[in-house]
Amino acid sequence: MNLLLQQLINGLFIGSVYGLFAVGYTLVFGVLDMLNLAHAAIFTLGGLIALWLVENAGFSIWLAFPLTTVVAGVLGLLLNQVAFAPLRKRSDSQFSGLISSIAMAIIFEAAALGLFGARSVRFPVGTVAVHAWQIGGITITSLQVGIVCVAALLMVILTLFIGRTRTGKAIRAVGESERTATVLGINVNGIIAFTFFVSSALGGAAGILFGLYFNNLTPDMGRSIELKGLAVIILGGMGSIPGAILGGLAFGLSEVLTVAISGTSNLRDAVAFGVLFAILLIRPSGLLGRGKTREA
Amino acid sequence: MDYLLQFYAIYGSVINFIGINALLGLSLNVTLAAGMLSLGNAAFAGLGGYTAGILSLHYKLPYAVSLAGGACTAGIVALIIGLPVLRLRGVFLAMATLAFGEVVRLAAVNLNITGGAEGLTGIPQATTTWTIYLVLAGAAYFIAVLRRSRLGWGLMSMREDETAAGSLGIHITYYKVVAFVVGAMLAGLAGGLYAHLNYLITPRDFGFFIAVDLLTYNIVGGIGVWYGPILGAATLTALPEVLRGVGVTAGPIRMGINGLILLLVILFLPNGLASLFSGKRSAAVKAATG
Amino acid sequence: MKLVSRSLLAVVISLFLLSAAATPASSAGFKMGFVFSMTGGAAVYGASQKEGASLVVEQINAAAGSGLQIVAIFEDDASVPQQGTNVFNKLINGDKVDMIIGPTLSNTAKITDPIAQKAGVPVLAVSNTISGITEIGDYIFRDSLTENVVIPHTVKIAKGKLGLKKVALLYGNDDAMTKATYEVFKKVLQSSGIQITSEQTFAKGDRDFSPQLTQIKAQNPDAIICGALAEEASGIISQARQLGIPKTVRIIGGNGFNSPGLIKNAGDAAEGVIVGAAWNISSTAPLNVKFVNDYTKKFNRAPDQFAAQAYAGVQIAYQAAKASGGGSDRKTLRDALAKIKNLDTVLGRFSFTEGRDADHAGIVQEIKGGKFVVLGN
Repeated sequence: MNLLLQQLINGLFIGSVYGLFAVGYTLVFGVLDMLNLAHAAIFTLGGLIALWLVENAGFSIWLAFPLTTVVAGVLGLLLNQVAFAPLRKRSDSQFSGLISSIAMAIIFEAAALGLFGARSVRFPVGTVAVHAWQIGGITITSLQVGIVCVAALLMVILTLFIGRTRTGKAIRAVGESERTATVLGINVNGIIAFTFFVSSALGGAAGILFGLYFNNLTPDMGRSIELKGLAVIILGGMGSIPGAILGGLAFGLSEVLTVAISGTSNLRDAVAFGVLFAILLIRPSGLLGRGKTREA
Repeated sequence: MDYLLQFYAIYGSVINFIGINALLGLSLNVTLAAGMLSLGNAAFAGLGGYTAGILSLHYKLPYAVSLAGGACTAGIVALIIGLPVLRLRGVFLAMATLAFGEVVRLAAVNLNITGGAEGLTGIPQATTTWTIYLVLAGAAYFIAVLRRSRLGWGLMSMREDETAAGSLGIHITYYKVVAFVVGAMLAGLAGGLYAHLNYLITPRDFGFFIAVDLLTYNIVGGIGVWYGPILGAATLTALPEVLRGVGVTAGPIRMGINGLILLLVILFLPNGLASLFSGKRSAAVKAATG
Repeated sequence: MKLVSRSLLAVVISLFLLSAAATPASSAGFKMGFVFSMTGGAAVYGASQKEGASLVVEQINAAAGSGLQIVAIFEDDASVPQQGTNVFNKLINGDKVDMIIGPTLSNTAKITDPIAQKAGVPVLAVSNTISGITEIGDYIFRDSLTENVVIPHTVKIAKGKLGLKKVALLYGNDDAMTKATYEVFKKVLQSSGIQITSEQTFAKGDRDFSPQLTQIKAQNPDAIICGALAEEASGIISQARQLGIPKTVRIIGGNGFNSPGLIKNAGDAAEGVIVGAAWNISSTAPLNVKFVNDYTKKFNRAPDQFAAQAYAGVQIAYQAAKASGGGSDRKTLRDALAKIKNLDTVLGRFSFTEGRDADHAGIVQEIKGGKFVVLGN
């Protein structure tokens, strides 16, 4: 019983990081109907930049975290300016946007490789004080709790923001129909840029949390999470933020349980993608999503 | 003559890879030209390659038979998953084919018959540069003919506007499946050629990143013409060698250049490098830039 | 527009052809090609190898003065066999090297080494540790000790010192090296009568090992045997301790663990980890001490086994070149390599076996006080 409980905790923990990452993905998709495949690269850069600030500039993590999040957001603005905005008027903007996001992902990863090297690096020991609590036979560390709290906090703030504030409503309006939003006097371009800022900031934050926990940052660390992030948002429903959060948790749990049961991590991904495949066939809109998913 | 031999000795492997990548690029072109963002061709190449390899290695079948076996296996699998999957649009189709690709790759990593993570070794080395380019020429000819056929026109009109095409009496699902299967078979063939090139085929040769590469060949080269993917594949496969020649070794710079080329092409040359030669620039770009 | 683009294409093509034509003038000296993974999954190891190799090339050339100089050509195989093939072809036919050191990954070597064998170019592997490499042909040599040699010794010492009765196995099953580690460990454990409580696996690039480790914890093994490369190893070690697996449950690893990077990344959790390896960083042999000092001074960090084996590889190659009149004849160079006996290198006294593999005993280390120390002899 203890064993199961521990595994559940493991799953919830990794699930919350996935959720945070996926929320960024789904935000952009909801507004622009477009997949931003450079999200994972910004995730990576977030972790690496925070590391640099802590290690070389001597910042405390409490300062580095918000600072890096903002920097990641700025990268998102850059991404939008260079790769998405010029393409928006095109008839095939969904497709070409996808491609240019792939191009930017490659460029960002190259930058990460050039600036930080290929070696795996970690946050210096003592960046965050870690206590481990043993309750019954279960172990939980303060780091885990901290990460879950931060992720949860960010996601709650985001949901409230989208739901309650004017800008949030504007974002939703643009997501529904760009044309109508323009008619209503909303500055569509500004909203889109803002969405990118928020989405990338969240992605960067997820990268920092990921880096803090696993202490293994490499320029290509985004790759492992990229496909999973996509699977999560499909599972949860593209464009739905609660869906991304739920999807993230569900995904984290299923991953951990699959490995625990089978003793190998290979099946883990096979199960994940098998499920994804099945969902796409049966209910492509996912658990909570909306939006046209089929042509004929 | 001597110079050519020397050139081939150094660059023979690059030339081979260009040929195979071009074939793979062509296989993706069939579905892309129809507006279907299928990313499963890397997996089909893997299926074809492994099947051909197993047929040659374990069942000792002749080379041509193994290749055919590989291509057919890919085609059959495409038929089976195509029917349900092809109803999805755009990004969802891409995700479904990607998920399929990952499942295939993971199967290859875990099954014994495929040699596990290290792959299938000891495959007889039967592919030569001539084989590759002969097949490529055949495939290119086939694609060129296909484009001009009724099927080809149907596919291209589907890319423009699927609903309209349907109302014109084009049997959408049928055409989509045909395109999907044809693309899969070509990919399977390329996979078989690849497997017999270097004694070895591994799951890593057909993963997500390769699928993205195939897409890139098509984008950079141009989707609209039959020689687009060939051009794209040749350029991107040869690029590391060209860069090496001018002193840029592998590393962040080379990677950055790859990304930059893709970005520049998609921003300014949406019809790919091929459009430089045919003088066609996308109407969409013209409209947007005024 | 058409004219511009067409001429641009012409320029690119001619650059390409020119680079082929521009075969460097055959400079006197011992021409060595180095094929390491500088990008891609194995970049971490390739970087170490390049540092070790370039250090020794610099030192040898400085000492040689007007004697035999090494002309070193470093290439990147991007951790994939395709690029490895291209690079081997270029080095053999374009640069016309006398011998090749590398490639980093065993998987790549299986495809590239036959090319060199066919062309009669000696290859000295400095990081391939699976079986089936030197068997490719008589031009293929290796100075990296295989798991077959290292692990039985490790198990014997560990069992003797710790009285192991049951262990859990955790290994990466998508890498030839970690898989080889696992297979040899399993064989040896079974023949030593040690019970295996479970076999769990992971894949390269995995960062989350808590599911597997949680299962392992519940089984209460005496030790965890781990077939992993340094990246995953540090993650496994940290997470095991974080999950509450006590330090009395030792973690035992093979060649992949032998890296100071592991100590740095795993921090305090690495105390007590046992490593079976080919090279002892704290060996007091003068050549080794000098190597560690020089390397640390130049690169600001301690060397790992990859660097050490690459360094030794060049030492061995240079010796063979000197013994065969400069190394320009590949056949006599190959024969000189085969004859290397008791050469003093940073790995200790080095000889090749009949099968052209490394002939020296492995060592068993323990991480104590943040450093590798010898556990037993």
